[in-house]
Order: sequence, then structure tokens, then C-alpha cells
Amino acid sequence: MPEKYNHEKTKWEEDVKKTLKRFPERKRAFHTSSEIPIDYLYGSKEANYPLGYPGQYPYLRGIQPTMYRSRLWTMRQYAGFGSAIETNKRFRYLLEQGQTGLSVAFDLPTQIGYDSDDAMSEGEVGKVGVAIDTLADMEKLLDQIPLDQVSTSMTINAPAAILLCMYIAVGEKQGVSSEKLTGTIQNDILKEYIARGTYIFPPKPSMRLITDIFAYCQENLPKFNTISISGYHIREAGSNAVQEAAFTIANGMAYVDAAIESGLDVDSFAPRLAFFFNAHNEFFEEIAKFRAARRIWAKIMKEHYHAKDPKSWKLRFHTQTGGSTLTAQQPDNNIVRVTMQALAAVLGGTQSLHTNSRDEALSLPTEESARIALRTQQIIAHESGVADTVDPLGGSYYVEALTDELEEKVMDYLDRIKAYGGAVQAIEEGYMQREIHHNAYETQKRIESEEEIIVGLNQFKVEEEVNPDLLKVDEELEQAQINNLQQIRGERNQKEVDRKLQALRTNAKNQKENLIPYILDAVKAYASVGEICRVLRDEFGEYTGF
Amino acid sequence: MRKIRILIAKPGLDGHDRGALVIAQAMRDHGMEVIYTGLRQSPVQIATAAVQEDVDVVGLSSLSGAHNTLFPKVLEELEKRNAGDIPVIGGGVIPNEDIPFLLEKGIKRIFTSGSPTEEMAIYLKQLLRPEETPIPPKQIAHLGIAVKKIEEVLPFYTNAIGLEVEAIEEVESEGVKIAFLKVGETRIELLEPLHEQSPINSFLAQRGEGVHHIAFEVEDLTSRLSKLKEKGVRLINEESKQGANNSQIAFIHPKEAHGVLVELCEHPEGSED
Repeated sequence: MPEKYNHEKTKWEEDVKKTLKRFPERKRAFHTSSEIPIDYLYGSKEANYPLGYPGQYPYLRGIQPTMYRSRLWTMRQYAGFGSAIETNKRFRYLLEQGQTGLSVAFDLPTQIGYDSDDAMSEGEVGKVGVAIDTLADMEKLLDQIPLDQVSTSMTINAPAAILLCMYIAVGEKQGVSSEKLTGTIQNDILKEYIARGTYIFPPKPSMRLITDIFAYCQENLPKFNTISISGYHIREAGSNAVQEAAFTIANGMAYVDAAIESGLDVDSFAPRLAFFFNAHNEFFEEIAKFRAARRIWAKIMKEHYHAKDPKSWKLRFHTQTGGSTLTAQQPDNNIVRVTMQALAAVLGGTQSLHTNSRDEALSLPTEESARIALRTQQIIAHESGVADTVDPLGGSYYVEALTDELEEKVMDYLDRIKAYGGAVQAIEEGYMQREIHHNAYETQKRIESEEEIIVGLNQFKVEEEVNPDLLKVDEELEQAQINNLQQIRGERNQKEVDRKLQALRTNAKNQKENLIPYILDAVKAYASVGEICRVLRDEFGEYTGF
Repeated sequence: MRKIRILIAKPGLDGHDRGALVIAQAMRDHGMEVIYTGLRQSPVQIATAAVQEDVDVVGLSSLSGAHNTLFPKVLEELEKRNAGDIPVIGGGVIPNEDIPFLLEKGIKRIFTSGSPTEEMAIYLKQLLRPEETPIPPKQIAHLGIAVKKIEEVLPFYTNAIGLEVEAIEEVESEGVKIAFLKVGETRIELLEPLHEQSPINSFLAQRGEGVHHIAFEVEDLTSRLSKLKEKGVRLINEESKQGANNSQIAFIHPKEAHGVLVELCEHPEGSED
């Protein structure tokens, strides 16, 4: 064995010992049903050399030395609908059922910075997530949920700073100081321009808000993930696996560039960058995608940005199974799709996972469907044995070849994006959008010509009456939410609100000032999401796309 | 006739436009002119655009669950602009149970997740340009084959091919004797002349034995015949007449199909089975 590899192996063995002190193994002994003992890691002496070890640069085999032998991934089901009180009930239900982290879905008005009583919000209040207007709603949402014990992921982008501040404020009221808070805000505006559509401000001030969050959290919320750079929506919009990985990494580089340009040291913020990927049906390609992305990011951070802290090199990611792969036809088949996709995410080394519910092509999931989705993860974790050794597919000729090829293709895309002048310019010129749309349309044509078979959709069809129990959001909720908001407006100290909003306005004009403390002040005075966004809309302008 | 113009619109705050964009491109590929509004359009903006762009139809896409509020609003706003006659269709994530409500409000049709774009294109052409786009026939009703003597050729179809004879009938009015052989949902008809004046006899004299005609099963035969006549298609029968099995039939002149005699037939619901 060459000296270098010997050294890596010794280092890994030391890492394992260190890791086990903090995170002991889940079981006293790991073995198969036939009493075959299961080792941490497998690799033929020859084949393992180029792969490296888990927990070591470039992290092909995983970011931790022991991966799921010590701790399983976080099971984090995205939920939220209707009012804060209803969503709080669903959260507590999911925690009781063994879920280990929260994930908040907000309704569209909240995501686009409109209050529930805004004309633009009509018909949308509480529909795709929970409606949050003021801190009062956030207090109800997180009622009896100990923020020092539960990590919370919030799918919020353009107004991420506002919702983060509300979270900090609720923590304070619970007596949990901000350094103890754990969780993630999505805060990834670039993919909103490309694929998801909940942008508010133009790219430049949006990037400023993001780097303000990086700087603020580094000081005050050191355990919080400041961004979740998302390929998920890019994939849902119709991209393929390579495009998903490539555009996500390109966006990640744009955030790193912006933060460095704002004066931050790369190692001060890079360890808190998180990623969010999709898991579609093509099993081995998905696994290869996760492994390749990890290796590419490590190389970029180390070699391109010269990050010194190994934490800056590690691509940590959340995965959600592919919503667009689910069919409205024969919806129970979706459970099988979700299982395969979840398995790919686990074999790819995900840090947390959301499994979709079978009825998502029809409406928001019912409690029963959400439970099956969570159970799917638990079965993979506790019954399949795939979590008992690290990177079980490492060294597979097929998976390693796919991983290498994906890496190569992703690098090609990164070169093309670089030629545009980076991700922001490529998005402004519509390059990524065109690539995704082209792939989406080609996929649709392949499905219609039956070149691509979707079980139950274009083959193996049945006559069926699809009328499962669907979750309906109470239509009266909108009015109730508006009443709540107006009540808060009547009760709060309006002068205080005006003062805080004016302070925010003044400082929004000053590029150098970090806006987060001003937003936090406004939030604590019960200024609403819409009111804070109106100030920022005035100062920053609005992005109108095309 | 100008091209079909369609406005594809995203009402409300929903940002998922993969479906809208795919539909837009597919309708373009089907020869339509497509105007896409982009995201976050209010019902007022959509109705205004529909009128200004003078479109033939509006397609709304929503995945956020706001359809029950926003789709009817678009109809109202069109009505206010005296454009209530512009048909509006919808798509996206729309639960089946909401569809009757939307149809009742006046949405013409809902295409849910998984609908082929082809289906929508055909629907729009039939809705907006019915004169140009006849409804596709349901199936081939039968193939007519002219023979000198049914009994001589029948053993081939029964013994060698394995078909079963359903019935043998004489149709005096046409001067033919017909053997019906069922193949799946369609039939083979063996046609034997009953006498010298039978049209089958003259066919046999000119061309010998072989395929005589192809018959399509259609709906609303009468209106089809009048549309064909308007278009200047030469018909052997300008009015439909009684055929076998309680059907109505009409023949199109073989010159139209470059030498193939085409029959259109319509069976009253359920009479074939």
C-alpha cells in the first residue's frame, strides 16, 4: 500500500475513534440476519485507494467518518397549511411520531412579502403553507416546541431575513439564546429567478440581504445554516440530474463570490452553507449525482476559494424526493417511487430527508399520507440495513463510472456559466432557464410518444375513480387570518412600528449597514412581513423577470 | 382562417410554470400563436391581456390551490369587458372534486396533471375550428372485401386465420350478401353480389376480387356529410342511408381518397355489441 493511502487510512481510523466519543454507534453490534458482522467501511485494497475515506477530502464516500453508523439522517417532513395553530398541531403530531426536525412551508403571500389582507393575496392565504403575517403568528406556530432541542428548516427566500428574525424573537421569549438555535433558512434567491418564482427584489439587493444574513449569523447564530442552495426546484422545473447539480453548484459559487466581495473571509461563512437536492427515479444516476456533487464542491472550495477549514469543504445536503415524478393516476404507486428515491438519497449520503406523500399530485398531503411517507424513511433506516455500513455502493464499477462522468459533465456546465460571467449573469440572460425548459419539453414529448414509460400514466393504465380523502384548507381561514392581523395592528404600539420601519428604510439606503438588526427590531415591534417588505420594495425596487 | 391564438396565464402568486411553459411550446408546435403572460398575473391583468391580444381562448395554470377563487374571477373580468365569449380552460394541480364547481362557473374544461398535450391541442382545434378539424373517427368499423362466392373464400378466414362468422345477411337494397367476421372491435365484411346489377359485380368486373372499401365509425354522420359537402368533397351519398346492423351509412367518392372507396357509418349507441 503506497504511503499516502496508508496515512489516509490511519487518519480515518483516528477520526472514527474521535467521532464515536461524541456520537456512539446506534447498536452494540452490527451484523446481518445470518450473523455476518458488518464493518464500518468496505473496499478492496486496490480499488479503495482512489476513493478516499469518509470524512476526508474530497468526501466522495460521505462527510462523516462513520456516517449512519452513529447517527441516522434527520427525518424532516416539510409541512404547513392554513393557520399557525393548525400547523403547530401537525408539527407536534410529526414530532410525536418520531420525526427529528421541523420543516416549515409558508403560504405564497408570506413567501412573496404580502400580508394576508393584501389584494394580491386573495385566494392564496394558507394554501401551500402556513400564513405568517406578524411575530404573533410565529409564536403560535412554535408554541410548546422547544427551540433549543428541535432544529427547524424554513422554506423562505426573498423575505428570509424577516422570518429568521421572527424565529430569533420566539427563541428569546422561550429563553433560548440565538447561539443555541439550529436550523436552516432556504434563502436561495438565485433559484427563485430560475425555477421557483417567489422572488421580490432584483438580484443585487437580494444578494446583499443574503450576505447580511451570512455576516449576522456568523456572530449571533453560529449553529444555523444560513442558506440552503437548492437544486430541488431546478429539477422539478424540468432539468436533468447533471443540470440540477451544475446549476446548484454555480449558484453556490455566486453566493461565495458575493460574500467574499462584501468583505467576509471564506472560512467564516462557508461552513454554514447547506445544499438541497432532489431524488428522482433513476436510481444509480441519483446516487452518483450526490457523490459527484460532494466531490466537486470540496475541490472548488479548497482549490478555487482556498478555504482552509475542512468544514468549508464539506457539502452537507438535504434531500426531498421528486414531486414531479408522482402521478395523479393510481396514487398509491407513488409510495413505491418515493421508497426508491429515498433509498437513493440515503445511499448517496444525505444529511436529512423529506419523503413525499402519495397524494401530492392531487393536493396537500393528508395526515395518513404524511405518516406513510415518514414510515418509509423509518423502514429504510431500521429494517433495510443500508445504514449499517458507510457508502455501501462505493467501489461499484457502475456507480463510480457514473460519478466520474457526472462530475465531468457538471464541470463542462460550470465552464459555460463562467463564460457568461457567473451564475447571476447566466440567469439574467436566461441561459439556465432555457436549458431547463428545453429538457422539460423533450421529457414531455418522450412521455407522450411512450419512449419513456410512466407506470399508470402512459402504460399499465386502469379505469379509476380517483377520489381519495384529500386535505382541504378551510376557505374561511383567509378571513380569520385577516381579522387576526387587523387585531394585532390595533393592539401594537404603532409609533414604535413606524420608528422601526423608518430606521430600516434609512439603513436600506446605506449599502454598508447590515440590515438584520433593523429587521429584528421591526419584527419585535410586531411589524408585519408585508410592511417590512413594502419598505424594502420602495428602496430596492421589484424584479419583474423577463 | 387565421391561426388559433391562445393566452397562457398564471393567475395568483404561484411560481411553478413548468406546465405552462411546456403547454405554450406544445401549442406552438401545433401551429397556434401563443402569448404567455408570465408569473403573478391578477384576473384583471389576464382579462385585459386576453382582450388586447384578441385571443381565441385563455388557458389558466395554477398549482397553489387558489383555482376556485381565481379561475371564476378571470371569467368575471372577461364578462366585464364584453369578452365573456372567449372560452377559458384550466390546468395544474386541481383535485377532481373541484372540477364540477369550476365547470359550473363556466370554465370549459380542466386538464389535470398527466394529460397529454396532444389531447389539449385536439380539443382546442375542435372547439375553435370545428369546420377545419373533424372529430377523429372512433375506429375502423369494417373492411369490405369483394368476393365472387362467400363459401369459396370463407374457409380461408375461418380455418387458416381463425376468425369466426358472426352472421351472414342478404341486403336486397344493395344487391349484396354479406358475411360478418369479427376481429377485435372491428369487422371484416365479405361482399358477394346477389345479381348482375349489384355494385359489387361491377367492382369485380373492373378490378377483380380484393379490398372493396374501408368504413370508419363516426358520430353525427348527418352533420359530417353536410360539412364535407360544404368543403367540396365528392360524395356518393349526400344523405345517409340504412346499412346493415341498424346502422346509417354513406359513401365518399373513391377519387377523393385516390382510389379507395371510403364509407362512413354510425351505429346507434350499443347496437354493435
